[in-house]
Amino acid sequence: MSLPRSNYDPRRVCLNPFPELTLGKHKRTVGVYLAGGLFALANWVFLDAAILSKHAHSPWGSPDEPPPVHVSFVDWVPGICSLLGYLVINMIDKDRIRGDQGFGDSRAVWRARLFLFIGFALMAGGLAGSVTVLILKYIINNYPQEFTYYGYANVSQSIFLMFSAVILWIAQNTSSEYEYNLTL
Amino acid sequence: MAAGLRTVILLSFVLAVGFLLIILSCALWANWLPLLVALIFVLAPLPNALFSHCGSDEFAGGYESSGPVDLGRFITSMVVVTGFALPVVLAHSEVIHPNASLMSIVGGGLVYGTILAYAAAFKQDDSDYE
Repeated sequence: MSLPRSNYDPRRVCLNPFPELTLGKHKRTVGVYLAGGLFALANWVFLDAAILSKHAHSPWGSPDEPPPVHVSFVDWVPGICSLLGYLVINMIDKDRIRGDQGFGDSRAVWRARLFLFIGFALMAGGLAGSVTVLILKYIINNYPQEFTYYGYANVSQSIFLMFSAVILWIAQNTSSEYEYNLTL
Repeated sequence: MAAGLRTVILLSFVLAVGFLLIILSCALWANWLPLLVALIFVLAPLPNALFSHCGSDEFAGGYESSGPVDLGRFITSMVVVTGFALPVVLAHSEVIHPNASLMSIVGGGLVYGTILAYAAAFKQDDSDYE
């Protein structure tokens, strides 16, 4: 599976190249639609928890007792980190990262990789932060199931955002349109 | 054009049923939040329609990826999922009745399906001029 040594380009990110998926034109469309749907789903899962927390009322049988915990700004921070990372990852030119497109400036490749690293670090940081919030704010304090849900929604938001980024990356890396134009 | 006429009448009927369901879901429980669903689903094909013309010069631009078209699809898919998720979220936090949520989802699906079917059925007529 390894490439011959003559194909090795020192500007490449990994020793193994990015997978050159040649899917059909519809695969790209479906991938982009799927990524958008996952993106919206991720944010709605968290917004569901936030709206639920806003409308939470006292538990049955004890009307004087307020709900023990609410979604506060701490819960929003991991999602914001993940969103920023999502933006950074998708604003990078994919050809520039791969570095085999013949750009003269090798510093541009280096900078693109740095920004890609920052983007992935932000997304991974968002995921780690959401798990942290889930454990420190909800699980340790032994809240009942309906309040632990806020933390789980936070984690699923980060996971869905990651899946969305991966699907969008794969869908946009398919070199389908080149073939499409050749066949026309 | 008898078939086209029948299609138009059928689609308008389905559209009316969709709006009827959404308005009924609002009026029966006297809570007009599900009306947002109709607005969202009407707006859903708009980004796709706007951005689809940005990729029409693909022969001039070589084989570089059509970013604006992808952006339009991304936003469209986001809006569609929003339209389905909003009633579910509202019903989950007990702002609207679960039946109202179900009715508005079905109505919104009918409205969006009508728009899609209309665009698909009458796409051929436009391409004759190009």
